[in-house]
Amino acid sequence: MDPQLVLYLASVCGAIALWLLMPRGRALPWWRGGLAAMIGVGALGAGWLSAGVRWWGEVDLAGGLAGGGGDAGLSVLAVAYYYVFSGVAILSAVRVITHTKPVYSALWFVMVVVATSGLLVSLAAEFMAFAMLIIYGGAILVTYMFVIMLASQSSPEDVIEEQPEYDRASTEPVWAVVAGFVLLAALLSVGFDAPTGNPDAVGMSDAEIIETRLAERLVVTEEDEARQALSSTPAVDATALSNSERLGLDLFEGHPLAIELAGVILLVALIGAVVIAKTKVPEEIARNAAATPGAGGATVRPTGEAGPDSPEVLGSTRS
Amino acid sequence: MDQMISSLTFSHYFLTGAVLFVLGMIGFITRRNMIVMFLCTEMMFQGVVVTLAAAAAMHGNVTGQTFIIFVLTIAAAEAALALGLVILLFRRRQTLDAGAWSELRG
Amino acid sequence: MSLFDPQIAAYIPWVSGLSAVVCGLLCLYPQFAKLAAGVCASAVGVGFVIALGIWGNVTHAGAAVNPEPLMRWIEVAGLEANYGVYLDGLTMIMLSVVTGIGMLVVIYAAGYMRGDPGYARFFAAVSIFIFAMTTVVMADNLVLLFLGWEGVGLASYLLIGHEYHRPAAVNAAKKAFIVNRIGDFGVLLGMFCIFDVFGTVRFEGFLPAASALLTGDVSGLVGEGLAAYEQATAVLAGGGEWLLLAAPFGLMVGAFGKSAQLPLFVWLPDAMEGPTPVSALIHAATMVTSGVYVIARTMPLFELSPYALPTVAVIAGATAILGASIALAQYDLKRVFAYSTVSQLGYMFMGVAALSSTAGVFHLVSHAFFKALLFLTAGSVMHALAGQLDIRKISGLRHKMPVTFVLMGIGCAALAGLPVLTAGFWSKDLVLATTFDRAIATEGGTAFIYLMVGIVGVVTAFVTGYYCFRVWFRVFFGEERYAMGDHPTHHDGHEGDHGHDDEHGHHANEPHEMDWGMNGPLVVLAIGSVFAGLLLGPTHAVEHLIDGTSAEANALRVGDDATKYEKWVHNLMYGVSAVVAFASLALAFVLHGPWRKVEGDDPVRLRAPKVFGALNSKLWIDEVYGAVVVYPVRVMGSVFYVVDAVIVDTVVRGLGVVPRLLGEGARPAQSGRLHGYGLGMALGVAAVVAATFYAMNRG
Repeated sequence: MDPQLVLYLASVCGAIALWLLMPRGRALPWWRGGLAAMIGVGALGAGWLSAGVRWWGEVDLAGGLAGGGGDAGLSVLAVAYYYVFSGVAILSAVRVITHTKPVYSALWFVMVVVATSGLLVSLAAEFMAFAMLIIYGGAILVTYMFVIMLASQSSPEDVIEEQPEYDRASTEPVWAVVAGFVLLAALLSVGFDAPTGNPDAVGMSDAEIIETRLAERLVVTEEDEARQALSSTPAVDATALSNSERLGLDLFEGHPLAIELAGVILLVALIGAVVIAKTKVPEEIARNAAATPGAGGATVRPTGEAGPDSPEVLGSTRS
Repeated sequence: MDQMISSLTFSHYFLTGAVLFVLGMIGFITRRNMIVMFLCTEMMFQGVVVTLAAAAAMHGNVTGQTFIIFVLTIAAAEAALALGLVILLFRRRQTLDAGAWSELRG
Repeated sequence: MSLFDPQIAAYIPWVSGLSAVVCGLLCLYPQFAKLAAGVCASAVGVGFVIALGIWGNVTHAGAAVNPEPLMRWIEVAGLEANYGVYLDGLTMIMLSVVTGIGMLVVIYAAGYMRGDPGYARFFAAVSIFIFAMTTVVMADNLVLLFLGWEGVGLASYLLIGHEYHRPAAVNAAKKAFIVNRIGDFGVLLGMFCIFDVFGTVRFEGFLPAASALLTGDVSGLVGEGLAAYEQATAVLAGGGEWLLLAAPFGLMVGAFGKSAQLPLFVWLPDAMEGPTPVSALIHAATMVTSGVYVIARTMPLFELSPYALPTVAVIAGATAILGASIALAQYDLKRVFAYSTVSQLGYMFMGVAALSSTAGVFHLVSHAFFKALLFLTAGSVMHALAGQLDIRKISGLRHKMPVTFVLMGIGCAALAGLPVLTAGFWSKDLVLATTFDRAIATEGGTAFIYLMVGIVGVVTAFVTGYYCFRVWFRVFFGEERYAMGDHPTHHDGHEGDHGHDDEHGHHANEPHEMDWGMNGPLVVLAIGSVFAGLLLGPTHAVEHLIDGTSAEANALRVGDDATKYEKWVHNLMYGVSAVVAFASLALAFVLHGPWRKVEGDDPVRLRAPKVFGALNSKLWIDEVYGAVVVYPVRVMGSVFYVVDAVIVDTVVRGLGVVPRLLGEGARPAQSGRLHGYGLGMALGVAAVVAATFYAMNRG
């Protein structure tokens, strides 16, 4: 079977599965989740397989998926990393967008971040993997959790009908799924058949960088030697660069202007956040909103029109 | 390890990145809770991050990883502003429903 | 001898230009609007002083003074037209008349316009006029002259339409402007012809060259003149004679338009809708004489074409008699003088047509004095009677307005040409005598033309005397009787006019004499009307100023004063003129004098109603123009309107519907819902990406 066609079929199946899982405003029947899970897992597997067929050529299923790999032991482990983390990321992502409770959505999103970090590790991007974990999983997600708790009505029950209507019903599920998976199918039609990398984009080798920019690293003092003699750990290879070293060099030598701009953006965002946070909501609006919690815009009185319990009216009745 | 990955395939990583991005997009459209919508945009960022890291490994340099730092910068700024706005809107209407704000009707 | 360097003359227009700016600014500050009259009068007065100051320098220089241009203007492709002045006797006469009469009229207007809501605007426009008019008379090239020419047209338009809330004034302004466009087109064509032949538009260049072409004498030619002469001979050898024949006709059309000659005179009587000082300054004394100036200035060109000057003579004679005869049947005081101006302009053209710039310019000067005087006294009567101008309703005002009575009498005497004392007598005689001179000096058809024109001139003189004394007798003699007008010039309900109502409240009851602020300039004009003739006539002063300049006809340069003119013709003319003047006075006295039999109507109308009615209806010339010119244009306009309304508008509106339909179709997409926009974005991205990859895979 043509792997491209399999890819398209997998997209369609994924779309159907996702559509089945979309919140409907009431509890899902049990069979629906199971069906969706089956279709979805099947679609995912088919996608992986067809991707392998398309870009590996012939796949020997019996001989393992790592048939193209050079080092058999390591490659099997790396492939396993990929499949595990990728699967976790995608399934968690599905739960993020289908869960009716925002808190759980956020927690599932933490799972996505963790799995993504694992993928980054398997791509030899250790520094960014941990940066993601700390910044996303730590800082940003905690902020989200705070906001969710600040802004949500408390609904301890697990009964779905008790939750706010805007959490338990989704809008335009069909069209959204169609648009998303058309885009996915189109993206997956592209063949990246240059696994050897782009020679123009390859930077200097580690040795070159160390010779030209980090020359002092090769200077070995007596003190170093003495410490080395006492230590039991093997010597660090002075001619190899770690991931964070390479990243730092690229960031500060290759993109100095961009990093300044990033700093400016963060500063502007900081100021903007302060301004937004300090913006006062007119009391009447807040009062009207409190009187009709969860109501849409239609029931909210325009600004400036006195409500029945507004201070002006009260004052006039008193006098 | 670089050698192994390149011989495995980067396309798998691109696939994962694309799926994460598309799921985030679908979530942004279908969910009505403004906080969850912004969570979904963060998920689109995750897809982009995976793609960038895969591209960096594919090209054998770290510029792609450098870009992730900028993606993180934008994500942080967006989160700060968006959550501030969400709080402000919630104080006005006591609801997180994005459908409550439709004054721009043509 | 003289006070100023001639170079300073170039600043005369700019003083008035500055005054125009200042007066324009005063329009914005009504509390200071009263200053406008002083600003304008000072500016014109400065111009007059400068003109007198450089007078000696210029007239003693012999040839024209043409200092370095004040500033560069146009220098392109061989065309050189800079802001320079060309000063000779003719220029000095015109300059003195424009600034001198202008100053007197402005002083008069300071009182006359008091209380007018557009007080500062009026003087701003008058300043523009003085700026443009002095530019016309001092320009050292045709292009600059044309700039001033258009400028006076603009000022005339602004001032006729001064009371822009009255439709009659607006229509008159438009009429003047449109009729003048025909003339301006002629000037342009003439200018093109001249540039084509001589390669220059500078007077310094083409006037000597034209004289040399005429006489064949190239000995006196230097510099620009020589270059222009050489180019002209080359062009003429290459078959360009027709250009030389056409050039004066182009200028002639322009002169006829500006100076209200047949067939373009129709705008001038209507121009009386403007305030009376404007009628006096622009439509009697100065602007309308610029046509005479242009012909006198370019006299050598007109001499070069054998048909040009006889044509001018015929038109001039016809205009003179036509204007005079229409004037004798008008009841409107200002209209009588308006048609009188048309007629007198005919005299001036007669003078230049008879090759005598002297006669034309002399009559121009004396006419400027007495016609300005007549208009301003008419304005006084109008002012006193709250806008009443109908001489059937005015009678016996000499006790109420004694000074005006005397001043208008002097003006009428000058216009009629009562012998010896009045300016009109001397200048009109010179015009008629030189015309008969030409008849004697030439032969055949040309001689007949000049003879007939001269006879028409004599008849016109009789009619002129009759109509002006008719007005004077009717207004000031007989039983005292008057009906107040509705005061259209002042009490027209404008805000800021209320104080004026109280101040001049007695208008509604009784006519009164003007104060001396207004009568003072009139007295000066009256003195000029009397003594200008005696000063300039018997002394040949104008002749001495014109002789030797380029305005003197080459044909008259041969011989000395003794042999130049046929003396007996002049002496005979003095006698004939005197007889004609007194005869006209007598006729007017009999029909309209203190013991007239018919009150409130014209005895001529009772005797010959058809003739009188025809003349009273201005010979239906406006109606003929309406049928021949205006009506076809209107029909054409209607056709174009239909085309525009039906075809063009439909297409344009149809095109306008398309975007609206598109907008209506796209409107539901703007639901205001965030998810709608997000979905649209996602679908759009998906469609674009899918289309892109489809296209890539196919290719």
